[in-house]
Amino acid sequence: MMLAVSLGELLSLPVIQRSGAGLMVAGTFMPVVGVLIIGFDILTVRFAVMHVALLGLALGLWIGVDPTLLALLLCAGVGTAITPLAGRPGGLSGPMGLLMTITAAAALLVLSVSGVNANSAFTLLWGSILATRTSDLVLLVVLAVLVLGMFVWRRRELGLVLFDREVAACSGIAVGTVTAVALLGISVSIAASIRLTGALLIDSLTILPALAARNLAHSLGSMVRIAIVIGLVGNAVGFLLALALDLPPGPVLVMVAGVITITTYIKKGPQQHAQVLH
Amino acid sequence: MLKIDHLTVAYGPTIAVSDASLTVGDGEFVVITGSNGSGKSSLLRSVLGLAPTASGTVAVDGATARTRTEWQRRRRAAAYVPQRTTPGSFPLLVRELLDSSGNAPAAEAAARRLGVGELLDRPLTTLSGGQLQRTYLARAVGSMSGERRLLLADEPTSALDFDGQDDVANLLADMSATRLVVSHDAAVVAKADRVLEMAGGSIRERAA
Repeated sequence: MMLAVSLGELLSLPVIQRSGAGLMVAGTFMPVVGVLIIGFDILTVRFAVMHVALLGLALGLWIGVDPTLLALLLCAGVGTAITPLAGRPGGLSGPMGLLMTITAAAALLVLSVSGVNANSAFTLLWGSILATRTSDLVLLVVLAVLVLGMFVWRRRELGLVLFDREVAACSGIAVGTVTAVALLGISVSIAASIRLTGALLIDSLTILPALAARNLAHSLGSMVRIAIVIGLVGNAVGFLLALALDLPPGPVLVMVAGVITITTYIKKGPQQHAQVLH
Repeated sequence: MLKIDHLTVAYGPTIAVSDASLTVGDGEFVVITGSNGSGKSSLLRSVLGLAPTASGTVAVDGATARTRTEWQRRRRAAAYVPQRTTPGSFPLLVRELLDSSGNAPAAEAAARRLGVGELLDRPLTTLSGGQLQRTYLARAVGSMSGERRLLLADEPTSALDFDGQDDVANLLADMSATRLVVSHDAAVVAKADRVLEMAGGSIRERAA
């Protein structure tokens, strides 16, 4: 009873409501971003975006521009700029590693040269759900509308690009444009959501729900629907657990999403065997 | 009509197709055979801009392609069956792949004719190599029902059983489109209007 009252009181606080709303909004579209990440086979993208964001934050702090805004713009620019590499043999995995290393070095150089307190940049990068501002919430809602809208509008082309890039190109689909828009969406979404869980824990919002969904789904549509449900449930359960147990929300969110994902792998095991033996 | 004129395809220093010329008339069914590495797939892929052209031209209905827009127009004028016997890991239903042809009813009708009509709700990741090839061909047939008048197929029967090879050969023979098919399959070769052979990157007409 004590726990429920305590949790109820917590949930009545505007800061908690704002954070919870942010997580719920992220739960509707970040799993779709995760599906795209898995489809393009760029699991290292969040590390690359994290370092691009760090560079943007460092530059913002140095020149006195809103660091978060600059990080978002830089992530958007880089996400679009690497698109031509997606069609090369080997895909984007190599360029992601290169991007990650170069931007990390550039960020450290900027921090060193500018004399900006590195802790300020890293604090922004680690994020905090409880520090969610109304402007962050608005940005997440805008991204949710854009990402979900683009997916619904172009899901047929997107599905073919993710399944077979060559056949998609030979069907007259503008694969480069579709990829550029997808990478732009991925980069900006990750950068915007870093504030919620921090860069290192962004997987709980993106990749883990998508991985779990891939284990259960047989089509692009069902994968996206399942990923969104898992994202929403995982975020809600993780956030409430963290509040109830007075634990930091980020790690609890990841643990909940991780348990759900592991469960789907266990469930998938025998089915996979049956499929191989057809 | 497809006209390939003195085409050379090179991957860096490696010449895959050397000064090859070929004309496929409207509605003609031409099969290219040849040993592995003889340049068949590179020749086929060069029609769609998927292989690097070092010199020469490829024209469809008199139009060559150089800019991105021209290549997109070329690709919208052709249907392509890739050489695939294993699907990727990304989940997609047979129905979703057929639907991407732009004419799902026509593609599903072709799928029924090719014996994969019952698999519409199966994930592509669970299909055998032969079933996957039939699905790709059915998709291409579906997309041919629009403005596309050129079919390019790369080894469409390589993973099929004998019945499947006959099904595909009959379907290809019944089409009215211009068809350029890479194949070693006797059933497909037997149905062709003309058979060409590639060796060392060059084309020669094969005796009947």
